[in-house]
Amino acid sequence: MGIDVGKFMKNPEYELKLTTYRDIFQAEALENDRFSDEYKKHSAAVVMGKDDMNKFGLRIGDRVRLMNSYGSIVVELRESKREEPGGLAFMVNSPWSNALISDETGGRGIPEFKNITARISLTKDEITTIESLIGR
Amino acid sequence: MVTCTGCALLCEDIEVVIENDRIKESRNACRRGAARLRGCKNRLAPSFNKMQTDIDTAIKKAAEILKNAKSPMLFGWSNSTCEAQVKGIQLAKKLNASIDDTSSFCQGLLIERVLKKKFRTCSLEDVRNMADVLVYWGSDAQDSQPRHLSRFSVFPRGESRQRGYEEDRLAIAIDVRESNTAKICKGHFYRIPLKGDREFILALMDALSGKVPKYDAKRILELAGIMKKAEFGVLFAGIGLTYSIKEDIDILVSLADMLPNFHVMPMVGHYNMRGFNEALFKETGFINRVKFEGKPVHDNKYAVVEVLKAKSIDALLITGSDPLSSLPRSVLPHLSSIPVICIDPCVTLTSKIAAVTIPAAASGLECGGSAVRMDGKVIEMSKVVENSYLTDAQILTRLMEGL
Repeated sequence: MGIDVGKFMKNPEYELKLTTYRDIFQAEALENDRFSDEYKKHSAAVVMGKDDMNKFGLRIGDRVRLMNSYGSIVVELRESKREEPGGLAFMVNSPWSNALISDETGGRGIPEFKNITARISLTKDEITTIESLIGR
Repeated sequence: MVTCTGCALLCEDIEVVIENDRIKESRNACRRGAARLRGCKNRLAPSFNKMQTDIDTAIKKAAEILKNAKSPMLFGWSNSTCEAQVKGIQLAKKLNASIDDTSSFCQGLLIERVLKKKFRTCSLEDVRNMADVLVYWGSDAQDSQPRHLSRFSVFPRGESRQRGYEEDRLAIAIDVRESNTAKICKGHFYRIPLKGDREFILALMDALSGKVPKYDAKRILELAGIMKKAEFGVLFAGIGLTYSIKEDIDILVSLADMLPNFHVMPMVGHYNMRGFNEALFKETGFINRVKFEGKPVHDNKYAVVEVLKAKSIDALLITGSDPLSSLPRSVLPHLSSIPVICIDPCVTLTSKIAAVTIPAAASGLECGGSAVRMDGKVIEMSKVVENSYLTDAQILTRLMEGL
């Protein structure tokens, strides 16, 4: 097994698995105005269990960068209200989570919306705006 | 009473208070439905090349784009009325275009099998009146179809289920995440690992055929026992399940075949996705991913994701969908190099990049029409508020005339 160099960086990077889910509060904000702060608040966030947060040295409310070869976003870290088994973090399905999804489909036309591998690291950068996600 | 188009439950019991031709208040709707009934904050205006114009010019410019395109695609349709969907299919035929909808990367795999009668299925009224075992698999109805449990499945009293969830019904959740729906299924939540659905199905099939399952034997045997004894079971198949087994979707058909008292219902999000699938199926024998080349040709290469990746279309008309919100960013770059026509009541991410935008009436509010509920029941919607927006069906008719 190789050395995980990311752990020794100033803002260490850790690999994690992400899956997406639906949230009625975000859906409500989407119906109202998808360019609103409310929609951003419910979408630009990653949720994980306390143990994983401790493992990664992260705290509730931290801004974190999630990145992989398909994209890079900055979102807010939130703690899951449930007991989580660990090793898996959650994002509400949105343009933010879609920025990390592979274009590989095996020719079947269905991307892996719920099975994302990314790296997470602490950042001081601002939360990614929806305008930047559509290239404006 | 008003019909809500917030999701594919198409709730018909909504009461509204109207003031100045807008819905001021609604009763009985869920949070999402209430927000949709209030209407979006930013209405779309007609535009061409990012400059505001009048509706006639916008439609004329859109018709020119479609006429000049060699391989156009018409996409969206899940938030359009049945009437608009039929017009869209006619337009695709006239243009020899490809046509696809959001089921292509959503529940299409399951809806196709329902329409081909590979699954036993039932109506939501059957669920309310008869269902005793309810399995939410990869589905968080509480957040996606928020009144599913209260109107049809867990909570209501039914003809054969007078004692409701306290004694007559059992709700089970199988999911990667302890969703809000799973919270309600207390004591019957089966957490599975990411992409673990196939293995879980195989273990359940082992248990149903009298073998000892390969993992979590005690709980899976218990679940198999409950499902076997069901008088009227329903498996609500969510998008989490569909995505997880998309390479081997027929394994769910095999499981359903082992459960003669069970019915399978795909949990559909958008209010009229099934309507489009049924309309295209009736016309071509396929539910999505069709190109008209004199005759309809179905191929995965006509899936919206694949055409964008392959850059194989030179114009895209979108109605009833916001692909910039719902598709992976990695497949979107081609959209910046082709003209996009966006028909929608509201400003969306897609309308921001569109060459032509055409505002439409919000269906079920500003225009009537019909839609197909997630279980296949046709629901009629009425016009509730007055304004001058064209319906999406009228816009498509005018586009056809403009060709």
